Amino acid sequence: MEEMKDDPSFWESLLLSIKTKRATWLVILLTLALAVVTGVVAGPSQLANTIVAGGMWALMAVGLALVFGVMNICHFAHGESFMVGAYVAYFTFTPLQNYLAENPNTFLSTIAPLVSMIVALPAGFILGVIIEKLVFYPLRIRTRRGWVMNAFLLTVGISFVMTNGTMLVLGPNFRGIPRYWEVEPLEFLGVRLTLDRIVAFVVAVISIVSLWLFLQRTRMGRAIRAVSQDETGAEMVGINVNGIHTLTFALATALATLAGASLLFMFPAYPTVGLKPLYIAWYVVMLVGLGNVAGSIAGGFIVAVLQTFTQQFIGVAWEDVVPVAIMILVLLFVPSGIFGSEVKGVQEQ
Amino acid sequence: MNVNTEKTLETKRAPGLTGAWRGFTTALGHVGVSPLGLALFILVALLPLIPPFDQEHILRWLIMGAFLGAQAVAFDFTGGYINVVNFGFAAVLGLGSYTSAILSNELGIVAIHPGWSPWITIWIGALVAGMFGFFLGWLTLRLRGIYAAVMAWFVGIALMGLATNLTDITRGSLGFSPRPLIETTANLPYYYTILAMLALTYVVLRLVTKSHLGLAFQCIGQNIDAARASGINPTRYRIINFTLSCTFAGLLGGFYAHYIGSLTPKTVMHTSKTVEVLALAYIGGRGSLWGGIVTAFPFVFFIEYLRSNLSELPGLHMVIYGVLMILMMIFYPDGLSGLYRWAVEKIKSRSKGE
Repeated sequence: MEEMKDDPSFWESLLLSIKTKRATWLVILLTLALAVVTGVVAGPSQLANTIVAGGMWALMAVGLALVFGVMNICHFAHGESFMVGAYVAYFTFTPLQNYLAENPNTFLSTIAPLVSMIVALPAGFILGVIIEKLVFYPLRIRTRRGWVMNAFLLTVGISFVMTNGTMLVLGPNFRGIPRYWEVEPLEFLGVRLTLDRIVAFVVAVISIVSLWLFLQRTRMGRAIRAVSQDETGAEMVGINVNGIHTLTFALATALATLAGASLLFMFPAYPTVGLKPLYIAWYVVMLVGLGNVAGSIAGGFIVAVLQTFTQQFIGVAWEDVVPVAIMILVLLFVPSGIFGSEVKGVQEQ
Repeated sequence: MNVNTEKTLETKRAPGLTGAWRGFTTALGHVGVSPLGLALFILVALLPLIPPFDQEHILRWLIMGAFLGAQAVAFDFTGGYINVVNFGFAAVLGLGSYTSAILSNELGIVAIHPGWSPWITIWIGALVAGMFGFFLGWLTLRLRGIYAAVMAWFVGIALMGLATNLTDITRGSLGFSPRPLIETTANLPYYYTILAMLALTYVVLRLVTKSHLGLAFQCIGQNIDAARASGINPTRYRIINFTLSCTFAGLLGGFYAHYIGSLTPKTVMHTSKTVEVLALAYIGGRGSLWGGIVTAFPFVFFIEYLRSNLSELPGLHMVIYGVLMILMMIFYPDGLSGLYRWAVEKIKSRSKGE
C-alpha cells in the first residue's frame, strides 16, 4: 500500500516488485496455477474446501507470526492451544447438546455451537496470560541472552507438559462430534459445503479482520506494533512492555483456541491433536517469513492449495511430505521466506 | 573451557601422589575423561553384577539409560557447541535404524532382503545417517539459529513421512522386525555393547571438541559474525559437525533397532523422541557432552520407578519431566555440568584459602 503512495504508477511498482522478488512471484503464480488445476480436475468443491482450510491455517499462523514478531518466541506449543480450544468446545457443546435433546429449542440449537466457540476465546486468553506470566516473564526478567533459542526450547517444554498433562487428566480418548449443525450441506454453483465449514471460514475471516483492525486502529494495537519494532524505544515513550507481551501472547493463544473450537468437527479433541495444525502453521510462517503477520494470511492459502493438490494427485499419505519438500526448496533460495521477514530477532543466534 | 578447568584441577590434585598416577590422569585427560568419570563408568559397567541390579528388567533400564545418554552426547555435540538445535535428530537416528534393519533383513516380508550380518549393517546405517547429516548441514548452512532448527525439524518430518509411506521396504506403521544383534535372550551382552558404543561416542566426540575443530565450533556457536571475521568458515565447520553428530545418531539407531526388535516410524523418528533427548542434554548442561550421560541413568530409573508405582496415572512421569525441564531452563540454564563446575570452583577456592 505504501508503495502505491511513493510511486507514481501502481503498475510500475508492481513491475519493480516482480523484478526484484522473483521467488515470491514464482510461488504465488505456481500456487494460482495449482489452484486452477485442482479446481478444473477435482471440481469446485475441492477448491472451496481448500479455501476454507486456508482460512483456518491463516488463523493459526497469524497467532504464531504475532508471537514471533512481538516477543521473538518461536512458539512450539501453539498446537496445544488448539488442543485446549477443541476440548473447551467439546465440553461446552456436548452438555448443551444433551440438554437440547431433551428440550428441543430451534433457536438454542442454532446458537449452541457459536456459544462453544465464544467460550473458547476467553479460555484461550486466560491460558495465554497464565503461560506468559509463569514461564516467559521469569525468563525475561532473569536474562535476555540467547533469548530466541531459550524461549523456543521453553515452548517445547510447555508443549510436552500440556500434552502429557492432558493425557494424564483426560486420557487418550478421542472426543469429537460429527457436526455442529444438523443441516444438509448447502449447495450453490455446483459446490456442496457443510454449514460447519462455512462458519469455520467466516469465523477465521472475522477474527483475522478484527485482529487487523485492532492492530492498526487502536492505541493498544499501535503499542503492540511499536514493541515489535523497537522494544527499548517503546519503553521510552511509556509503553508498558511487559503488559504488551502478556497481551500479545494471550491474543495469539486465544486465536489458536478459537481455531481449535471451530474445527472440532474435523479434528476431534485428543492430547496430541495440536501437532498437525502446529506443523502447518509452522510451514506457513516459515514460508512467508517469520513474524510477517500480513504474509501469513496469504501463506495459509498457499499451503492449503499445496496440500489439496498433493491429496488429489499424489496421495493422501504424502500430504505432509510434498509441502515440506517444497518448503525446503523455497527456503534454500530465499532463506528469510517469500515475503521477507524484517523482525529484530531473526538474525540473533 | 570446561575441559581445561577439569584438567588443571586433576593435575593440581595429583602432586602428593606417585608419578604413575599423574601419568595415568594426564593420559585420561587426553581423551577427556576425569578419574571420577572413569570410576563412575566402571561402576556402571559393574552394576549388573551387583545383586539388586542383576535382574533382567533393571538391565533393560540400564540399557535404555546408556542409549539415551549416548544420544544426548551426540545431540549436545551440535546443540551445545555450534548452537543449532538439530530438531530432526530422532529422524536421523531412525534413518540409521531402518538402513541397518533393512540391510540385515533376511525374511521376504519386504521388497529388499539381503540378510547381511547386523554387526556390519549397523556401520552402514551409521554411514548413511552421516551422509544424511552432511546433506542436512548443507541444507541449513545459509540459515541461522532458529531457522536452521526449524528446517532440520521439517526435514525430519519429511523423512518420517517417507518411512511411513514407503511401505514396500519399511512396512510403514505396520512395524518392522529387525534381526537381533546377538542370538540370545539375555540383556547383558547388549548392555556391554551399548556401553562400548557410549564410550566410543563420548571419546571420539570429546577428542574432536578438544581439537582446533572444537574451538571453531564454539566460536560459531557464540558469535557467527565474529567467527567469520576471524577467518573461520562457518559452512565447513557446520557440515563437519552435523556429519559427525548424525553418524553417531545412526550408529545408536542401528543398535536400538537390533536390540528392541520392532520398528515403526512413530516410535523411533517422532519429534517427541528428539524432545526427550533434548531435555536430557539440557538438564545435563549445554556444551559439556558428559552432562547428558550423568543425567540419563538416574533419569531412566526415576521414570521407570514412577511408571511402575503410579501405573494408574499414565503420563505423570512425562509431566514431571517436562516441568523439571522448564524450571531448569528458566532458573538454572547451566544445568548439571554448571552445578559441577560451580562446586569444583568452590572447593578449589576453599582449599586455597586454608
